[in-house]
Amino acid sequence: MAASTSNAGASAAVPVVHTDTTAKCFLVGAVSYFVIVGIIALIIAAKFVWPEFLGTVQYFTYGRMRPVHVNGMLFGWLLAADMGLAYYLVPRLCGVKLWSEKLGVASWLIWNVIILGAVVSILAGYQKGLEYADLPTPLSVLVVIAWVMFGINIFATIAQRKYQQMYVSTWYIMGTILWTAFVYLTGNFATLLPDVTGVNQANLTWMYTHNAVGLIFTPIGLAVAYYFIPRTSNTPLYSHKLSMIGFWSLAFVYVWTGAHHMLHGPISQWLQTISIVFSVMLLIPVWAVVYNFIATMKGQWHQLGDNISLKFLMSGTIFYLLTCFQGPMHSLRSVNAIVSKTDWIPGHAHMAVMGAFSFFAMAGVYHVIPKAFNTALHSEAVANWSFWFFLIGGLGMFTSLWLGGFWQGWQWNNPAIPFIDTVVALKPVWMVRFLSGIMIFTGIVLFLYNILSTVVGSKRPATAQA
Amino acid sequence: MLGKTDSNATWFVVAALGLFFIGGLLTTVAPPLLDKSWNTPFVNHDPAKGVTGELKPYTEQEMRGYKIYIREGCKYCHTQQVRTLASDVARSGWKGVKAPISTPDEFVYDWRQTFGTKRTGPDLARVGGKYNKQWHKAHFNNPRDLVPGSIMPPFPWIANNPQELDDLVAYLQTRGRAKDWRPDGDYEQ
Repeated sequence: MAASTSNAGASAAVPVVHTDTTAKCFLVGAVSYFVIVGIIALIIAAKFVWPEFLGTVQYFTYGRMRPVHVNGMLFGWLLAADMGLAYYLVPRLCGVKLWSEKLGVASWLIWNVIILGAVVSILAGYQKGLEYADLPTPLSVLVVIAWVMFGINIFATIAQRKYQQMYVSTWYIMGTILWTAFVYLTGNFATLLPDVTGVNQANLTWMYTHNAVGLIFTPIGLAVAYYFIPRTSNTPLYSHKLSMIGFWSLAFVYVWTGAHHMLHGPISQWLQTISIVFSVMLLIPVWAVVYNFIATMKGQWHQLGDNISLKFLMSGTIFYLLTCFQGPMHSLRSVNAIVSKTDWIPGHAHMAVMGAFSFFAMAGVYHVIPKAFNTALHSEAVANWSFWFFLIGGLGMFTSLWLGGFWQGWQWNNPAIPFIDTVVALKPVWMVRFLSGIMIFTGIVLFLYNILSTVVGSKRPATAQA
Repeated sequence: MLGKTDSNATWFVVAALGLFFIGGLLTTVAPPLLDKSWNTPFVNHDPAKGVTGELKPYTEQEMRGYKIYIREGCKYCHTQQVRTLASDVARSGWKGVKAPISTPDEFVYDWRQTFGTKRTGPDLARVGGKYNKQWHKAHFNNPRDLVPGSIMPPFPWIANNPQELDDLVAYLQTRGRAKDWRPDGDYEQ
């Protein structure tokens, strides 16, 4: 156990010089897409308040911009950032250089073609028509190619590792690479097979959408948190054994839960029940992971005051705990009858993808960019401002959508209330969400400004970087 | 076996994929083999067994309309499922008649599933035959002219394109019509 916990800190002792070219490309690119897609996010939030806004131009209609927002944030920002962090931390955890920087940079170039191609084609009206799998098929093929390149590079690096025992972050990244391959193929290609229609296609779609979060963003996000919580607090991980319990229960339980997206809907009752049982079991991996993070911080909480990465990591941990408590509760039939299909759900989804996993990724970016460019962060104060904008804007968005969504679901369950009245009732909620979005966007802009200033200023001599 | 996985990458790969594929296969490949209603089109001509009707494949025109529905991302705000909730059955009803619950056999010809995850606008599972083409044209042109307070975007590029309007309305009129649930054939064209 001691060997593995020291792995996270071992890089300093090993004289391997990391060039980090691939990591730098992915991270700077991801932060830039965060701002670009953030603008689209603000526009669609505004459309709820002012439905005519940009509404008469077909390329900017809500139904096309929403999938651009979802895919842009998931693949342009978050997955790109997580891949960049994986390219940074796997070589360090293995004590060797990345297997091929050239292959890494090539995968990044393909990634840009995918993101820019997705924006243009979806706005032009070429969406595949399946949630989260909205990219036109040729771009999905490129995703598979880029992912295989990522997988080869990471596995080849791991095969050359100097330490026999692999740290938990390494397993999570390997798991992400393997599971994503099959989850992505299911959602983007199996769904298109002849005779796969209707409920069958929906079941495959929910297997993909649910596991896009559960077996892509969760494991790679946890890999990042497992690395950076001990690293930035200079504290060994609390328990190797607990991290194994969390990992293997996630590997087994997550994939069963897709049908909980269609509770009460036209899909076999027994499949709904299976998805509920496994959804509740998700509490096991989540609590194992969160307990490990919190216990690692024991006696170290004072570090939160002046450590920007730890602020993001520990708030992200709390959001992860909350969102993964909500998930199993939503899958209970009685709760689902109220919250399903309401605005509660985007509140929940944003807490997972923005509150938990984007917070982990931002913690990583704030830590890695100065290290990779061998300099100091441009401004700790601006980083702190960005954190508070994200936190307060995020809480404003989550809580307004939960309250509004619950109220909406309550009204829907009384058919005497005309549907349009339940729309009008939510207008104040959508205004609060828009204003919260402005705060979040301000945080994103400060984040980009700080990262770019750090990169541009990296020719100055480094100061105060351990 | 899992004890070796933190130091042996081969064991790790075998275990990670093995555990994943148990649930992966049982929840994706097995269900359509076990529940035949997923790929057997709805048909019932016996009123004693419940609502009658027959699911028909889409015509070329309806299919063109279906593709417009997908192109514009309509499913991001409109679900298409009457769930087993009393409120869904009542809300999808029309003129005091309750709508039948959606069943898998009504969606067998759906080339892109449109069940949806978010109900910003009303559910469309039984919208077929509720409104005529003139209503849809005016509504696509500016939803607030007909439904004050609506936040649906305007779609002038469809309302003012006779071909696209006809196609999309033809598709919408199919929604929920496999089950002949309206009394006395009371459907709009």
